[in-house]
Amino acid sequence: MSTETGRAGERTLFGHSLRRVILYVVLVGMGAFYLIPIETGLMTSIISPETYTGNFPYLPPLEPLVPGTGELSLEPWRGAIDGLGQGLVNSVILVVPATILSGLLGSMAAFGLTTISWRGQIGIYILFVAGIFIPYQAVLVPLTQFWYNVVPLRELFEPLAALPLVETYHWKLLALIITHTAYGLPICTLLFRAHYKKLSDEMVEAAQLDGASIATIYRRIILPLSIPMFAVVFIYQFTQIWNDLLFALTIVQFGDAAVVTQDLVGIGVSQSGTNFPLRMAAALLAALPTLLVYIFFGDKFAKGVAA
Amino acid sequence: MAELTLDGVTKVFTEDDGNEITAVDEVSVDIEDGEFLVLVGPSGCGKSTTLRMIAGLETITTGEIRLAGQRINEKPPAERDIAMVFQSYALYPHMTVRENMSFGLEESTEMSDDEIESTVADTAELMEIKELLDRKPSDLSGGQQQRVALGRAIVRAPEAFLMDEPLSNLDAKLRATMRTELQRIQDDLDVTTVYVTHDQTEAMTMGDRIAILDDGMLQQVGTPLECYHTPNNRFVAGFIGDPSMNFFEMAVDGERLVVDRFEYPLKPAQQEAVAGKSNVVFGIRPEDIRIKEPGGLSDNYQFEVTVDVVEPRGDENTIHLTFDRSIDDPVTFTATVSGLREVSAGDEVVATFPPDSIHLFDTDTGVALHNRMFDSEDATQQVL
Repeated sequence: MSTETGRAGERTLFGHSLRRVILYVVLVGMGAFYLIPIETGLMTSIISPETYTGNFPYLPPLEPLVPGTGELSLEPWRGAIDGLGQGLVNSVILVVPATILSGLLGSMAAFGLTTISWRGQIGIYILFVAGIFIPYQAVLVPLTQFWYNVVPLRELFEPLAALPLVETYHWKLLALIITHTAYGLPICTLLFRAHYKKLSDEMVEAAQLDGASIATIYRRIILPLSIPMFAVVFIYQFTQIWNDLLFALTIVQFGDAAVVTQDLVGIGVSQSGTNFPLRMAAALLAALPTLLVYIFFGDKFAKGVAA
Repeated sequence: MAELTLDGVTKVFTEDDGNEITAVDEVSVDIEDGEFLVLVGPSGCGKSTTLRMIAGLETITTGEIRLAGQRINEKPPAERDIAMVFQSYALYPHMTVRENMSFGLEESTEMSDDEIESTVADTAELMEIKELLDRKPSDLSGGQQQRVALGRAIVRAPEAFLMDEPLSNLDAKLRATMRTELQRIQDDLDVTTVYVTHDQTEAMTMGDRIAILDDGMLQQVGTPLECYHTPNNRFVAGFIGDPSMNFFEMAVDGERLVVDRFEYPLKPAQQEAVAGKSNVVFGIRPEDIRIKEPGGLSDNYQFEVTVDVVEPRGDENTIHLTFDRSIDDPVTFTATVSGLREVSAGDEVVATFPPDSIHLFDTDTGVALHNRMFDSEDATQQVL
C-alpha cells in the first residue's frame, strides 16, 4: 500500500507535491521582499541616532552586546511624535470629514444618477466622469486663486474661530476638506454607481409602491445596502487624502495648518546631515493611520470589492 | 377595495433614434370590485407594461386609469394604495421578514408600532410564515420568499393587488399549490386583483375573467370558458388551450371546405358565415376530435387517418394524426384520447370532426366567423 499523499504520478518532496513546495518558496520570497524594507525601517527607528552607523540597518539594535548594530533608543519616536504631532492632528481634522463627505455625497449622487431616472441625467453623469480626468497639476493655480482671492473663506471663517477648540488657521483645513471632497466626488460616484446598477429595480419599485419617498428609499433601502461599498470608498479616499501633499502645499502652503505629509518632508534634515532613525520613525508614524484603516476595514473592503 | 377601470390606455415608447413603439394600444377593461382578472399573452404583448401603468411605474401616454372612480394617471405610485407582487419577489435583502412586511405600513399609514406589529403577525399567520418573521430573505427558500412577497402586499390591505408573474420562479408542483392558495386568499380578502402571466393554464384556472393581449392590443375579455369556447379570433383560439386548437387553411368550395385529401361539409349556418370568402381557417380543439377503430365511414364528418406520433401524458394521450403519411410535409393535427387507450404510431384510425364543435376564422384578419355551439348559461347550470 502506498502512503503517498500527492496525486498519482506527481513528484513529491517530504510528502508534499513539488508544485506546492515551489508555490510556498515563491510566497515566502515575496513576503520577504515586501517586509524587509519595513523591518529595516522599524529597526532603524529604534536605534539611538548617535550610534547609528548604517552598517546593518536591518538588525535589531543590540549594542553593546553585538557590535555594529547600534544602541536601542526610543529617542527617534519621541522626536517623531514631537515633530509630527501638530501635523497628525491637522491631518485627522482634514481626512475624517473629507472622507465621510466624499463617500456620502458620492453615494447620494450615484443614487440620483442611477436608481432614480430623470431627463438629462446622462449629461450630468458625463460631467462627473469628466471630473475624474482633470489632472491635479491643472487646478493648482486656480485653486490658490479660488481660496485666497475669489472666496473670502478666511474672513467668513473669522466668527467660527471664537468657538472652543477652533483656531483661526483651521480655515485652511476647511478649504482643503472642500477641495478634497470635490475632487474625490467623481470617483466615489463612479464606484457607487457600479454598485447601484446591480441592485434590483423591482426592489426600488416595491419600495415606491410601499409608499416610500425618494429620500426614504435612499435612507432605508439603498444606504444599508451600500455598506460594503462604503468600506471600499472610505479606505480609498482615506489613503488618498492622508497621503496627499500637492493640494496641502497649494492651499495650506506653510504655517500652523500644515498636515502630516508636509511636516514629514523636513523632519530630521539639517545642515549637519540626515537623522535617519528620526526620519524612519516619522515615516512609520505618518503611515500608521492608513495601516490601521486597512486592518480594521480590510474584511469589509474585500467584501465590497467582491460585491 | 374598489373597482378598477382602464379606459383606452395606450403606452408609446420613444426609442433613442426617435422611433415610436406602441407597447399597449387602446386597452379598455372594467375590473369589478373584488374581481380576479388575469392579463395573459405571449412575451412582449404589453401585459407587464399595462400592469406597470396601473401601478404608476410607467407613465400613461393616452387614456385614463380610474380606481374607485377616481382618475389616478397623475398620482405617484406611493399614493395609489396599490400593492404589487413582483416576479423576482423584490424583497428588501437587508431586512428581516418582519421588517419587510412592516415597511409599507410604516411608510404609508399612521399606524402605531403596536398596531403594525399585530397586523404583521395576523398576516404572517394567514400566510403561514409566522416562524420566518425574524429571518432574512436570503435564508428562505424560493417558495417561502414568495409567501413573504405576498404577505408584504396583503398586509397593507390595499385597494387593489397587482401580480406580475408571481409564480413563474417556482417549481411546477409548488406552483400548482400556490395557485390554489392564491385563489383562496384572494377569495377571502375579496380584493380587486390584476394578475399577469404568460401561462394560459394559470389564466384558465385562476381568473374570474381573463383578458388576452397580443401585440399591445386587447383580443378578448371574458370568463375562461367564454374565451375557450367562443374565441373572438384565431389568436385567442390558438393561445388558450393546451394542446392548442388545430387549424387548417382551407378553400371554400360551395357547401364544402377543401384542402389536400380533407373535405369537410358545412351546415347551412356555417355556409352563411363563410359566404363570399374563397379561403377560411378551419379550427377544432383536440379533445373534440373523436377517434374510433377503422371500419366504415358512417357519415361525411368521418375521415380515415394515420397515427403519426403518440405522446402519452398518463391521464390522456396526445396523438398526432395525418390524412396521408405518404406525401411530403402532410397536414397533421392533434387529438386527445384517454390515457388507457392503446394507440401507436402507424395505426389506421377513423377521426370524427363533429360539426357542432368546429370554428371558422377569416384567413386574413383571423376574426372568428363561426364558433362552436356554446351556451354559457348551460355551462354554468351543468356545474350547479
